[in-house]
Amino acid sequence: MARITIDPITRIEGHLRIDVEVDDGSVQKAWASCTMWRGIENILKNRDPREGWVFAQRFCGVCTTVHAMASVRAVEDALKLEIPANAQYIRNLILIGHALHDHIVHFYHLSALDWVDITTIPRADPARAASIADGVSNWPGNSRGELEAVQNKVNGLLGSGQLGIFSNGYWGHPAMRLSPEMNLILFAHYLQALEFQRKACQVVGILGGKTPHIQNLAVGGVMNAINLNSLATMNMDRLGTLQSLFQEMIPFVQQAYFVDACLLAASYPEWFRYGRGVANYLAVSDLPVDAKATKFDLPGGVIMNGNLGSVRTIQDWHDQPIRAAVAEDLTHAWYSGDGAQQPWKGTTDPNYTNFQDGGKYTWVKAPRYDGQPMQVGPLSNVLVGYASGHPLTRKWTDAAFSQISSVNGVKVTPDALQSTMGRYLARAIRSAMLSDLALQHWQLLTDNILKGDETTYNPPQFPQHEIVGVGMHEAPRGTLSHWVVINKGVFSNYQAVVPTTWNASPRDQKGIPGPYESSLLANPVADPVKPLEVLRTVHSFDPCMACACHTLDVSGHEIAQVKVL
Amino acid sequence: MNTNSALSRLQKNFNPESQGLQQQTMLPPPKHVRVIGLGNVLMGDDGFGPLTVERFRCEYEFGPNVEVTDLGTPGLDLAPYLYGTDLIVIADAVHSLEKPGVLCIYCEDDLLTHHAQLRLTAHDPGLAESLAHLRLAGKSPSELLIVGVVPECCDFGKGISPFVFHASSMAAEKIAGVLVERSVSCFRRQAALSPNLWWLPNHRTTGIATWFTTESAS
Repeated sequence: MARITIDPITRIEGHLRIDVEVDDGSVQKAWASCTMWRGIENILKNRDPREGWVFAQRFCGVCTTVHAMASVRAVEDALKLEIPANAQYIRNLILIGHALHDHIVHFYHLSALDWVDITTIPRADPARAASIADGVSNWPGNSRGELEAVQNKVNGLLGSGQLGIFSNGYWGHPAMRLSPEMNLILFAHYLQALEFQRKACQVVGILGGKTPHIQNLAVGGVMNAINLNSLATMNMDRLGTLQSLFQEMIPFVQQAYFVDACLLAASYPEWFRYGRGVANYLAVSDLPVDAKATKFDLPGGVIMNGNLGSVRTIQDWHDQPIRAAVAEDLTHAWYSGDGAQQPWKGTTDPNYTNFQDGGKYTWVKAPRYDGQPMQVGPLSNVLVGYASGHPLTRKWTDAAFSQISSVNGVKVTPDALQSTMGRYLARAIRSAMLSDLALQHWQLLTDNILKGDETTYNPPQFPQHEIVGVGMHEAPRGTLSHWVVINKGVFSNYQAVVPTTWNASPRDQKGIPGPYESSLLANPVADPVKPLEVLRTVHSFDPCMACACHTLDVSGHEIAQVKVL
Repeated sequence: MNTNSALSRLQKNFNPESQGLQQQTMLPPPKHVRVIGLGNVLMGDDGFGPLTVERFRCEYEFGPNVEVTDLGTPGLDLAPYLYGTDLIVIADAVHSLEKPGVLCIYCEDDLLTHHAQLRLTAHDPGLAESLAHLRLAGKSPSELLIVGVVPECCDFGKGISPFVFHASSMAAEKIAGVLVERSVSCFRRQAALSPNLWWLPNHRTTGIATWFTTESAS
């Protein structure tokens, strides 16, 4: 039995340590530990709820927008305050821009190099690569000339001997199996993705006034002035710019990213068998299409025990079962207290011990739904949509299945999505869905403005007595909820139950492990010194451990280690 | 460009008559300039970057080709903001053996030479990776400089320590110097704008005046 400690897991946002015990080439036990404290909710106590979102969006450096959104929704929920239709659409377009950006970065820059071996690229035949790519996609960036140029760049990089950031990849690992041509295609898109990331940022910047850290939100709506006759406000010119940005991004999402994810799945079909883990799934409804938020373009629901037939759909954010079911267990987290706390009554008092296998071992609390661990993220989103017959989810999921089977004849089923590869594929399916929805929500906004509705804000009124609310958002990494208690016009409690808390959850009072931990069981590990396969499963969740602190280390100390005991 | 030349350029007091004009004759002035603050404003001195760029924005005037942005802690999401630019100046808290409050200036080569292992560091998956990606894509900034400060305390909710607050003023001046040396128009304002330091304790009731008092007392 070998124990492997990977600290920190790289190519994620923030600090995550994974410990696994490996026997006979596969993982027997696993622990996920967040090694940095983040009691950031405490800063919100006694603040004015109208400015809570400004602080909340500094919870994390990458998922800024999502925390701002959950925060205003939580206060609006407490006040039972409706927001205008324009405000819903503008918020939705920001969320779509942010999510597309986030998913593209995850697939290419944070996880592709777990599967793509760039050191084989010099051996690729660009003409052959171009013809492979042409066979599955009409993306213009797949031309022979384009691929040759990328190959030359990689040749230059490898020839220089200065691999820089690429020097620590697990190159030549036996689990890396793509052909040189496939590696070339995926790496070409890895570089092209940078341009589309930029366009997504522009969308958020135009609507949010600034990116990152949008400035346009308000409890009660948005602060975007709409006036078709003014140069300084939201007008047809600006709407046109937004439309073009989305139109430029969509082909990349649907013809490069989506297709690449299918090709990856077709090339590594065995990864549909690993990494299932916790098979309880939670997703909340998002992208409301009306002012009252009664109808949504992304469906929410709950699936237990991997049984897709048992899906319970969540109609809207007023769903009572969620409010009653969510609690956070502190037994194995470095906070005072034991057992589970309902978030409105939650506390965040640090109580650090050492890493104790059987005791407290992480800064992440253990959220539970009716006492059960849940997996959140694009996979939950897609499974809930597919199981409940949501047409857009079915369209893109079925497109992925037929694309994969056209490449290698592998028949993927919705059940097989409950796996490491399923999480990668679901993120691409969700991105394709969002790219369709981008133009639909742009149209909703434009039509509503052309109808003469220029309202964007309903002013809030705060009562003196205590009120509670929860703000929900189906963020790129999964279900996010902010739980607030407001008394005499200030926050008296604030708890954020974030997607990575659900997924990176430690064991609970009953000893039941969280999704990362259980997904690693039976995960193969060919070489304990190069635990590439562990990274594949952990990265499939897109961990984001709150970039609580950021200082640049220029003294050159090596901080990370893979320790094999 | 090596470290020494970057340092010596920056350590010289700015003098438009000598250094700046000489520079102008050698290289065309950068067209698209970004001044970026990195760091988490909620984590004490880690907010040095955002503080510095806000002071720079309020104390100096510059043309529309200069964008000043507080980017927080964007990780790999830094890349879109560096994409296709000519000059990047980043203000950030840095680990160094120097004392808290000391300003350190780095150029891009410093990152590369000291950071062959950067993919493994916990703190910064962003800058070196973003640069490497952009270089391969042919869209990296022509020049990148970092104006760093050694933090005293990066604890949550502590505000900025007096040393680091003082350093942010010098850092804003350094940034202006860097721009002027490269013939980017940048002037100290006759009357500074009022900075929006919303994250500092009591900023609304007392404003920056409190901080200036702390600064002169320190």
